[in-house]
Amino acid sequence: MIDTMGIIIASNVNIPPLTDVRSASALPIAGGYRIIDFVLSDMANAGIQNVGVATEANYSSLMDHIKSGSPWDLHRKDRGLTILPPNIANKNVYEIHGDLDILTGIREFIRRAPETYVVLSLGNCIYNIDFKEVIKEHIDKQADITVIYKDMKDVDQRELSRFTLLELDEEKWVTDIEVCPYYPKWTYAGADVFVMEKALLESIVDECASKGYHDFIKDAIAKKMSGLRVYGFEHTGYLDKIDSMIAYFGNNMMFLNADMQKEMLHSKLPVYTKNKDLPPTKYGENAKIQNSYIADGCKIYGTVINSVLSGDVTIGEGTVVKNSVLMQGVTVENGTQLEYVVLDKGVKVSENKTLIGQESYPLPVAKGTVI
Amino acid sequence: MNSKKCVAMILAGGQGSRLGALTKNVAKPAVAFGGKYRIIDFPLSNCVHSGIDTVGVLTQYQPLDLNTYIGNGNPWDLNRNNGGVYVLPPYQSAKTGEWYKGTANAIYQNLGFLDRFNPETVLILSGDHIYKMHYGKMLQIHEQSKAAATIAVMPVEWEEASRFGIMNVDADGNIVEFEEKPKNPKSNLASMGIYIFDYKTLKKYLTDDERDPESANDFGKNIIPTMLDAGEKMVTYRFEGYWKDVGTIQSLWEANMDLLDSPPVFEVSNKQWNIYSRNTALAPQYVGENAHIKNSTISQGCMIYGDVTHSVIFSNVEIGEGADVKDCVIMPDVKIGKNVKLKNTVIGVGAVLEDGVSVGISEDPQSKYISGMCTNGLVLIEGGAVIKENADIPKGSMVEVE
Repeated sequence: MIDTMGIIIASNVNIPPLTDVRSASALPIAGGYRIIDFVLSDMANAGIQNVGVATEANYSSLMDHIKSGSPWDLHRKDRGLTILPPNIANKNVYEIHGDLDILTGIREFIRRAPETYVVLSLGNCIYNIDFKEVIKEHIDKQADITVIYKDMKDVDQRELSRFTLLELDEEKWVTDIEVCPYYPKWTYAGADVFVMEKALLESIVDECASKGYHDFIKDAIAKKMSGLRVYGFEHTGYLDKIDSMIAYFGNNMMFLNADMQKEMLHSKLPVYTKNKDLPPTKYGENAKIQNSYIADGCKIYGTVINSVLSGDVTIGEGTVVKNSVLMQGVTVENGTQLEYVVLDKGVKVSENKTLIGQESYPLPVAKGTVI
Repeated sequence: MNSKKCVAMILAGGQGSRLGALTKNVAKPAVAFGGKYRIIDFPLSNCVHSGIDTVGVLTQYQPLDLNTYIGNGNPWDLNRNNGGVYVLPPYQSAKTGEWYKGTANAIYQNLGFLDRFNPETVLILSGDHIYKMHYGKMLQIHEQSKAAATIAVMPVEWEEASRFGIMNVDADGNIVEFEEKPKNPKSNLASMGIYIFDYKTLKKYLTDDERDPESANDFGKNIIPTMLDAGEKMVTYRFEGYWKDVGTIQSLWEANMDLLDSPPVFEVSNKQWNIYSRNTALAPQYVGENAHIKNSTISQGCMIYGDVTHSVIFSNVEIGEGADVKDCVIMPDVKIGKNVKLKNTVIGVGAVLEDGVSVGISEDPQSKYISGMCTNGLVLIEGGAVIKENADIPKGSMVEVE
């Protein structure tokens, strides 16, 4: 066990209609995982045994997914996993405008934790990072705050401006920070994960709350840059965040790449998720599958190409599913064509229909829709 | 502790020697089945769905795998404060201490466990059958008929009947005679090895049986005939549905094949009667660009680049490019290299087949691998075995770890 606690702030990113029914952190991804599984598993793999998941709204799906925390071995008598619903009865928080307000609401949880260090992460990141190394480097460098980043020098400007960008000196100390600038000046993209002493987090939260600040990066870190030793930990592996339909779709498709599967799901840092007790997937006489990622419990009688299917999906005879993401419990009856669609849980598409989106605009269908 | 209406006891101590190398290191009930399950998942899940929340699992042969598999019982919702699942190995006590001598002796040695729950009835199950059954319905028959014992039976083909314990019944379903593997069966109602006993009556007969030095301490051979002779009321419960004894390599393979085709002969899990198993959630299965999958079931964590036809593939199996897998049962963590040809083969957990291997296709009665346990051309490869590049394993082989 390490002397570090974890805090995950569930994402409030809006990706309609997928996030109408759940926090983005609870979005299904890669055919059976939820987005929060990545950061939660990384914390568990680092030996962190005290994790708080702070929520803002729409958290019943998230609670249902993580429940007691047992898939991450976080169902502990002493600490373990705590789901922290929003707390707006606090003197300084009347309404939630930013992540700092959420942190203010869980002050008591942070105060009571006996650990010295804290890993703080937003809950919509996609990465597989060994937090043990990050914490070690944080301590070795005697940093006040360590922020994980990836050098995205090959990424175009528009993509870059989705991220928190860092200016680094030669020793990797952060000299400036800009959140999602329209004209990016630097290529070091922050992962929205921070390591610091718990006492520092408490004092930041208290100071910001009493001054009416709302945003952890913009207000707490960027404004106090000169007084803080902020260190950048370089992550060379995959890093992204789910902040739009395109990002959601692209990150699902990313899992069709064998190297990515290896890095994200078959590495020495396993990703855990809730076990759904589904039987093996069944392929029929005329099934045709190409380059697809398929969870258990599916029944496939048709054709599936370049697609990601969650559990318990049925694909009828003569149906062709291409370049699509199908969530749990989707049924596509016989003779239907699907291309570039994102079908939310329980969507039912009846016989001989055609639904076609575009790579630049994957067509989403809301949970439970019958077409 | 609150007393229970019915406590189930699963006899899981047998070796299952006819499964050959599959049960070298694990007891039969822990043998993998159906892509994601172990044989013992069936009685355990049946118990939970039948409202029986207290289950003793009697282990003896190679118990490590079975013990760790059952653990605290949480996959079956059997991690209870009052009741739940208990693994019951043989034990030493002040005066005695011995292995389980027979099925009846195994229960006798655990009367202390049963007394603790003081049940009205005891359900005796074996850990080597594949079936889905609502024991509550059988319990209802048992209670209505006020019998001392109720035995589940099912009709079998007449020519098969001499392989089973056969129940001869009167018009009211009362058992009048029990014959173990009769040469000339008078009935085709076979015992399924599922018994419900009135606990007090069972306790008396078990205690008497233990005092008899001539007894084999077996339910089929001793307890049931003795109770019949004594005139106890014993009735049958007729089961309709799929039931398969998976005691041989052939029957285990057949039962796996029964899950394929549409509609399948037997569907393991459905929403009405889910079979639970201890599984950690793994990555989805990846099907590559040039793979062809037909009429098969495949589980999580697999990476399939070759062709799979009419086969049951368990979790975390890798099948290389150009491989051709037909009518096979491939247990978890098996690695199959490129251009491997497989037919009618059962492969144990974690075996490795290097590139270009061919199994179950050629004929060579002189091969050192030929085994009487592998009938009808089936091949068994023991878990953990490594088959070297381009090796040719003929039909009817059993390959063990050297």
